[in-house]
Amino acid sequence: MAKLMNAREYEESLRRLKLTVYQFGKRVENVVDDPLIRPSMNAVASTYEYAHRPEYEDILTTKSHLTGEKINRFTHIHQSVDDLVKKSKMGRLMGSLTACCFQRCVGMDALNALSITTHAIDEKYGTEYHKRFLKYLLYVQENDLVCDGAMTDPKGDRSLAPSKQRDPDMFMRVTEELPDGIVVSGAKAHQTGAVNSHEIIIMPTITMREEDKDYAISCALPADAQGITYIMGRQSCDTRKLEGMTFDRGNMFYGGHEALVVFDKVFVPWERVFMYKEYEFTTALVENFAAYHRQSYACKVGVGDVLIGAAQTIAEFNGAEKASHVKDKIIEMNHLNETLFCGCIACAAEGHREASGTYQNDLLLANVHKQNITRFPYEIARLAQDIAGGLVVTCPSEQDLKSPEVGAWVEKYFKGRTDIPTEHRLRILRLIENITMGTAAVGYLTESMHGAGSPQAQRIMIARLVNMKQKQKVARQLCGIDKVDQIR
Amino acid sequence: MRHRQGRSDTLIVGVKYCGGCKAGYDRVAAVDSLKTRLSGVVEFVAPVDAAASLILVVTGCRTACAEIDSADGRPLTYITSAEDAERWAADILRIHS
Repeated sequence: MAKLMNAREYEESLRRLKLTVYQFGKRVENVVDDPLIRPSMNAVASTYEYAHRPEYEDILTTKSHLTGEKINRFTHIHQSVDDLVKKSKMGRLMGSLTACCFQRCVGMDALNALSITTHAIDEKYGTEYHKRFLKYLLYVQENDLVCDGAMTDPKGDRSLAPSKQRDPDMFMRVTEELPDGIVVSGAKAHQTGAVNSHEIIIMPTITMREEDKDYAISCALPADAQGITYIMGRQSCDTRKLEGMTFDRGNMFYGGHEALVVFDKVFVPWERVFMYKEYEFTTALVENFAAYHRQSYACKVGVGDVLIGAAQTIAEFNGAEKASHVKDKIIEMNHLNETLFCGCIACAAEGHREASGTYQNDLLLANVHKQNITRFPYEIARLAQDIAGGLVVTCPSEQDLKSPEVGAWVEKYFKGRTDIPTEHRLRILRLIENITMGTAAVGYLTESMHGAGSPQAQRIMIARLVNMKQKQKVARQLCGIDKVDQIR
Repeated sequence: MRHRQGRSDTLIVGVKYCGGCKAGYDRVAAVDSLKTRLSGVVEFVAPVDAAASLILVVTGCRTACAEIDSADGRPLTYITSAEDAERWAADILRIHS
């Protein structure tokens, strides 16, 4: 019987994990209640809580193709084009509710990519990876788990293949084969939501050749497996979360996090191994994951919704909302944001069925969508700062506003429209700051640039996937270079 | 139309929402407003409630992508905007009076 957890149950499930987490050089004993980490836990928890709300459940839940039971869509294997479209809509919805990275899409994308690739390996070699995978998927769905899809290796010297690196741990690898499983070592960098996850799904990060077959591995590990250590990444303005619940944090409820995850001789039982040295399938796994994950940047449309709302609000608080240039900038922000939505809907609507039965996006359009994501949020953020004015980076702290000595001056001199409390003006500015240069900018801007592959990775795929010959053929015919009997 | 036993004048309506990814209006507020305006005339229940004789499909836009399996063949009325909700409420009140 599948369990559809709520936020409280999810939080309790995290408390049962025995993670080894380091932050500022010290072991974090209570991960769930750590003030820097907790907002990111809240964001993941919202994917559980909103799944129980009638007004959101149509997107956030679906039926398992394995059991027919109701499950959280974040654990679903896409069974139709409609499922893919719903996934894009889910990204926008959750982004618009949290204004940050809610961290749960990457595991869903790893599961879907593995559902295709394990089937393909079995077709060629008669292995049983797909059977193992389905058993694992059932476990994930029945327990409503968060999976960290861990792909990005540290990579060391980028000019060298994994097996040619001076330090062999620059890519995740098999170090020992045992009768009941394998031992793996290495690390995965930039792992979003890692310490909010119940499971870590390892995937290779690049195409592997035969000489790199020890690096061609995919497997799943409990997040608290022996030998796994998490080292938290810093975020711009992160220590504002240590100042108590002041509005200087911008987003009062939610945030994201990333971590370096180190695997030091971690044992993986065979039933959790989904690829073992079948190096010729690494390209397919990486590209399938990338196509799903590039679609997942639908979430930035939702964050954009919040940022546009904040920009309109500060324009009104400043009394500038009727200025034609402000109205035009808001229109431009919406134009860019809805263009992004077009891309994530289009790649889903043009999706197709793979041999495993899983539906996959149109690869070209998924890459075009992600390429736009590397750019448009920056322009939307620029316009938001333009509308907000310089106070977005110069306003004093909440403590100054509340100070008996100087609070009255902050109140007086940072007043905008007389009917709007100064505090409201400062709060909305802090939210704009949070999304465009604070902790949430990690997700909205730099993650948009590099997450799911840096811009050049998409450009390579775009060049590979377009049908250039056909474009040339028609061009040559229409200008008369190549003769055709008739143009119909 | 079917009604709950003992309350023959009350219409039982199941409310099914879409997921609300880009809702053009506040769907929940619109339904709350209907509940207030139609108090004593309509009882709003979950769409899976077998007592519902009609399913009100409340969608955030005209794409209206809500899954309607739970309607189980019962008649559907779509609300795709706040104006739709107003019109439906007026229709119900007119019929009821």
